Order: sequence, then C-alpha cells, then structure tokens
Amino acid sequence: MRRNLSLLFRLLRIQIRSQLQYPASFVMEVLSQAMILGFFFVAFAVTLSQFGDIGGWTLGEVALLWGLAEFSFGMMDMIFSGFDYDAFGPLVIKGTFDQLLLRPVNITMQVLGSRFVLRRLGKIIEGLIIFIIGLSLANVDWTLGRILYIPVLIFCQVLFFGSLFIFGATTTFWTKERLEILNVFTYGGSEIMSYPMHIFPRAIRLLFSFVVPAIFLSYFPMVYILDKPNPLNMPVFTSFLAPFIAISMFWLSLKFWRFGIKNYQSTGS
Amino acid sequence: MEAIIKADRLSKDYKIYKDHKGYLGALRNLFDRRFTLVHAVNDVSFRIYPGELIGYIGPNGAGKSTTIKMLTGLLVPTSGEVQVNEFIPWKDRKDYVKHIGAVFGQRTTLWWDLPVRDSLELLKHIYEIPSDRFKQNLDSFRAILELDAFMDTPVRSLSLGQRMRADLCAALLHDPKLIFLDEPTIGLDVVAKQRVREFIQFINAKRGTTILLTTHDTADIAKLCKRIMIIDHGKILYDGEFDELIKYYGGSRVLSVEFAEFYQDPTIDQAKIIQRDGVNVIYSFKREDISASKLIHQLSEKYRIRDLEVQDQAIEDVIRDIYENQLLYN
Amino acid sequence: MNAFFATIHTSFRRQLTYRAANLSGLFTNLMFGFFRAAVLIALYKEQTSVNGLSINGAVTYAGLTQSLIGVMSFFHWYDLMHTVYDGRVGADLLRPINYFSYWLGIDIGRALGALIIRGLPLFLVFSVFYDITLPESLIQWNLFALSILFALLISFSWRFLVNLASFWTPNALGIGRFAFGLSWTLSGFYFPLALFPDWLANFCRLTPFGASLYFPIQVFIGNVQGAEIMQGFFIQVFWVVTLIILGHIVLAQGVKKLVIQGG
Repeated sequence: MRRNLSLLFRLLRIQIRSQLQYPASFVMEVLSQAMILGFFFVAFAVTLSQFGDIGGWTLGEVALLWGLAEFSFGMMDMIFSGFDYDAFGPLVIKGTFDQLLLRPVNITMQVLGSRFVLRRLGKIIEGLIIFIIGLSLANVDWTLGRILYIPVLIFCQVLFFGSLFIFGATTTFWTKERLEILNVFTYGGSEIMSYPMHIFPRAIRLLFSFVVPAIFLSYFPMVYILDKPNPLNMPVFTSFLAPFIAISMFWLSLKFWRFGIKNYQSTGS
Repeated sequence: MEAIIKADRLSKDYKIYKDHKGYLGALRNLFDRRFTLVHAVNDVSFRIYPGELIGYIGPNGAGKSTTIKMLTGLLVPTSGEVQVNEFIPWKDRKDYVKHIGAVFGQRTTLWWDLPVRDSLELLKHIYEIPSDRFKQNLDSFRAILELDAFMDTPVRSLSLGQRMRADLCAALLHDPKLIFLDEPTIGLDVVAKQRVREFIQFINAKRGTTILLTTHDTADIAKLCKRIMIIDHGKILYDGEFDELIKYYGGSRVLSVEFAEFYQDPTIDQAKIIQRDGVNVIYSFKREDISASKLIHQLSEKYRIRDLEVQDQAIEDVIRDIYENQLLYN
Repeated sequence: MNAFFATIHTSFRRQLTYRAANLSGLFTNLMFGFFRAAVLIALYKEQTSVNGLSINGAVTYAGLTQSLIGVMSFFHWYDLMHTVYDGRVGADLLRPINYFSYWLGIDIGRALGALIIRGLPLFLVFSVFYDITLPESLIQWNLFALSILFALLISFSWRFLVNLASFWTPNALGIGRFAFGLSWTLSGFYFPLALFPDWLANFCRLTPFGASLYFPIQVFIGNVQGAEIMQGFFIQVFWVVTLIILGHIVLAQGVKKLVIQGG
C-alpha cells in the first residue's frame, strides 16, 4: 500500500509539473474556467431575484448546496481524472489499458495516476466562492455538529461522485464508447444536488434517491444544517446517512470495477 | 531443460455479436444479442525453452495476438493451460509481469506527454529496479540504441523508429527473462529496422533473454529466428526450424525467358509455365528436379532465346504460398 | 454547388449511423430538459407570467434549448482542429471546394441529422409531459425556421473561427474550452434571458450567442413582436455576414502561415 501510494504521488507530481510548464497560461485557463462555470450561478441568482425564493429556499441557502456540489465535484474530477469516462473509454479502445495490466502495480492505482487534470481547480475555486457567498447570505445557526458536518459532507460527495465515475468508466469495458447517458447521473446529479430537491417531480426524486442516492448527500444533510422544514416528511436520521451511502456506493463501484476488469480479461477487446 | 513457456491445448473463443438494425434494434441489442462463436486460438500446444528466439507468424486474424495476450496474462483462455516462468499469467498478474517484458509495435508503453528520461525513471520505480542495476542497463541500452539524441524529447514527438528504440529499452530495464515483441519493426524504414534487429539479436545472444517475436516482415524471421511457429485459423500449422521449412516448401526458382520468336507451345519437361505473354514466358522449377543450367541448355536446344533471367523465390512468397495454398494443412 | 450538397448529404448519412450515441444523447438532453423545467416551475410557483414570459413559454424554452444542443453543437466542436493536428487539413485545403463551404456542408449535414433523430424526437417526448407553447401561425413557423437557419450559420461560423486557432497554436483546445464556455454562457442556455435584468438580457441578445439560441426560441414561443422581430433578424444577419467575412480573413492568414511554415 505504501509503495502504491508513493508511486501514485510520483505519477501525479510528474503530471502536475508538466501541466504547470506554462504557469501564466495555466492560471489564465483556471480563472476563465472558474468564471465561465460561475456564470451558471450568476444566471440563477439574477433569475431568482425576479422571484425571491425557490421552494422556500433563499439565494444564500441554495448557494450553500450549489457551492458544496461544485466544490466536491471539482475535487473529484481532479482526483478521479483517470476514471473520467471521456478519457477512460479511449484508453480501453486504443489498447493503452493493456499496457497498464502489464505493469506489476495495482491497476486501480495506475488508473488514478494515469491522468490528473489540474485545471479542475477552476471548478473548485468557483465552488468555493459560491459556498462562501452562501455562508455570508444564509442565516445558519452554527453548532459544532453543523460545522463539523461540512467537511464530512465534502468528503462524502467526493466519494459519491467518484463512485459514479468509476461506474461510468467500467461500463466502457462493454460499450467500447463513452455514452453520453452517464452524464445524466454525474453532471446531472451534481446539477440537481444544487437545488432543494423537493422542487423536482416525484419520478426524478425517486431516481436520485434509490438508483443514484444523491438526495442523501446534499438535500437531506442541508435540511439539518439550515434547520429547514422538510416537505418530503423524511425522518431526521436521513440527514446523517451521507457517510453510510457514500462509502457503500464507493465500495460497490470498486466491486463493479473489479468485475469489469475480470470480464475484460475473459472477453478481450 | 525446463520449458519457460508451456502451452497445453490452449483455446480462446470470441463471441462476435451481430447487432440488430435500426432504432428499435439499438434498444433490442441491450437485451437480446445474437452472436457467432469464433475460435481465435484452437487447441494449441507448444513449448518454448530458455534462450530461444522464436518467430511466431501468421496472416492477419490468425490468432497471433490472441496467443500473445494469453501468454502475457491480458486474456484468460477459454480452455487449456498456460504456464510461463512457473506462473499462470492471468492468475498472478502482478508477480508474473515483473519477470516479463512486452513491446507492441503499434502502441507505446511510455507516457505520451513525458520526456523519455522521465518515462524510464518512472519504470525504475514501478519495477523496483535497484539503482545500480538500472544505471548499468540504461547506460548499455543507451549506447546500443543511440537514445541520447532524444532522451529529453516527449514521447509524442518521437519518430516511429525512435519510439520503438525507447520502447525496447523500457521493456528490458528490469532484466526480464522473457520478452514478447509484437511487430517491433512495423512501419520502420530500412535503417531503423536493421538497428532494431541488431538489438534483438544482442539481447538474445548476450543476455540469454528468451524472445517471442511476431512479425509480418519475413526478413525479420530470416535474419533472427532459428525456430518459427506458423499459426493460421487458430491452429499451429508448423513448429520447427525455419531452414527446414524453406527447404521443403520453398526452393522454387523462377526462369523468365524472352524468346526470339513466338512459339505455340514452348513446354519443357520438369518446369512449369506460370505466366505467358507473347514471347515472354516465365517457368517455375525445383532445384531438386533440374539445375538452372540444364534447363537453359534444354531450352536453347529447342528454341531461339533473346534474353533470360533466373531468380530464387522470395521467402515472402514461400510464406504466402503456405498461407494461400494451405500447404501445411495435412 | 454540387460538391456542397454532396458534402451535406454524406455528412447527414454519417450522422444517422451513430445510433447508440444519438439515442443516449437524446435521453440525456431530455433528462436535463426535465431538470431545468422543474426549476422554472418551482420558481414561478403560482405566477403565470413574469417579465412577459409565461410559465408555459419558460418550460418550452427549457425543452427547446435541450433540443437544439445537438443541432447547434454548442458544447464542443473540435472536428476541424483535429484535422489540423493530424494533418488531414492538407488534403482538405486542396479540395475543389471552398474550405469554409466544405466544413459548412459537413456541419449542415450533421445538424440536419441531429435535428431529425435527436432534436425533434426530444421535443415531441418533452411536449407529452408539459404544456408547450407552439407557434400560432404559419408565418411564425416560417420565421422560426428562418431564424434557425441563420442561427446555425452564426453558430457554425463562430465554431469555425475558434477552430482556426489550431493553425497558430498547438494548444487550441484550451482556447476552444474558453470560447465555447463563453458561447453557452451568453446564449441564454441556462435560464431564459427574459428573466434577466434588462441590461444583461439586452447585452446577451446583441452577441452572436444570443442571436444563435435565444432569438429563435423567442420567435418560437411568440415572445417577440413586430419591430423586435425585425431587430432580431437584423442582429442575426449582421453576425452571419461579419463572422463569415472574419472567418475567411483569418483562414487566408492561417493558410498563408501553414504554407510558409509547412504546418
């Protein structure tokens, strides 16, 4: 394990170094990314100002949800770049994945180390700014529990989104192409996690509760942190299922990943 | 001597799916898929011994790369057994691949965006190569493969020949007992090919590395391999000395003649007319049946000849003959 | 001219062969359409009209933007860039057809294909779930069709221009990411521009991006009248002409550079 980790860090260090080769253009790209991504929130904010609230939630309250999801997704997108199905699909098709199998190192570590997209910092910064806006606008009765739950949530969301990436990457063993449909759960998941989820129709809510349990990672926990009424009448403990859900999802995704590799080795490409 | 590769009744079947057509078909494909079974490798057995340099050849889709994938552990056989270096490749992947090297001519093992030097440095850590050993190997390969000119160039900007040299170096840094070379000369120019061949020879002779080489280039085989295995339609057609094969199936010679006048029937015993165009006639004959000088003598007694030329059949043609006419099928 | 139509035809046929990709893209856009519609409905609550935009109009807006993503190829289009980097550009420049027209032909074929197997079915399914605002007269339908045609010309010319960056720099992908980010930001893709403060909506409307998405949708849902329609078409025509001329100028410079430096 220690050897794997040190190797992973070595791989990452080298990639970071090569991406920072032109620091000025790198900074430009990160900032412009942050700006472009942030405009979605700005568009939402100016739209919301015509209405006042959405589903009983104020701009600051939504900003907390929004910032958290953007920040975590950005973190995940950077750490799990190797499992980004946009990049992993071609890896399988071109046979580069075979090359990884020929090296005497844990395969999951190698995929993690195969790609590290540092410019995702743009999304991370954007998420952070939106979250800070949320903190300054929303009236939160901060208790120790609520404060401590924030980093736990970030960790859980990173694991949650990461497991979606791993699921997505694994499917490309069979499909041999990247299917856009996966975006519904990854990018779409992060989008609907940015809103108080009781505003969505029942079918969408059920999909994101039981198939892809996103609701447990943003909406229910935030109901606790903001002490909001829960129109869905869920028991209080649902606010604290995030760690359980995230870890189970991640574990499942790794199982599926192993199964995918095994299948790949028995069917070939 | 104990064999380093033991393959016993090795088989690999593929399912080739036939897709339903149309929009609804695309949906149907999700649940109901029709397929045909293809025997890519069919009941193949062989032994390879330490220090051998074996050519593994066959036409496209014959089962070469499927075999290589099974030997390297990338693919699990449908049936049969394979043991390489005492390992079952696909079972003990991590431990097994420490002792082998592989170069696939079409793809690189190196990191696309990194300079060659960094790639090799990474491999040092991946294979846990002791520093002194790494340095020794690197120094020696650098000299033979002349890597110095592009050590600091990113892999993506290397020419095909340079990349292949860097890949060969990368595959051998950890002193593997056995290496698999899949089309190492594909797409290279004559000079680069020669350099790669010399290196392969050097590794085999000086280090005793066992080498399994697949190639389309029969010159590679002729120059490097004593023993060859020919595979087609998933079956091994021939496993033996290269020279023997040429003696049996090759050895055909060709005599092109331009006659001074047109003859209705310029046949001659012990030679076969394989092409005819007016006064130009091409005969094929076997060394064992008749010598070239005798044949020319007989011809010139019967007909008036303006010009002629004798050629050996190229090795390539021999191999093609074997594939096309399925000479080895019985 | 024949070569132009042949290019459209080939490209159209090719687009139709990507069945799995189109099907999954259709489903994806549809789901995002549902998400956006749900947000708009939650915002409107009991209100039926805000800033002159009815709730049905707003929901239709959400469905239409998603239907048009594939057609306008808003998010990314790096096809030309790839041909520059892998060298195919050389052969393309030698074709007996204007380089701009060649790519325009390919893009029109692609857009038609995307419209038929992705955009239209999506909108039909979407309209089963929601009360949709449709054009009320034949004239309005025709105006919409015309505005879509101009929109595609603007969208293509912009993408063409962005892709030309690859003639100068090996890292045009980064430029593309920025440029396309800008285009979907200012096009009114996220929320109907009608719900924005006037100054911001007016600014977006004047850009080529607003002209290539927001305006046709406004025509479709009947949220523009008389002089405003004329004004919208004027902005569209202005951008079509400007971007095509600009595209040709930049292309000429790029070709000059390619010829001198040999790529």
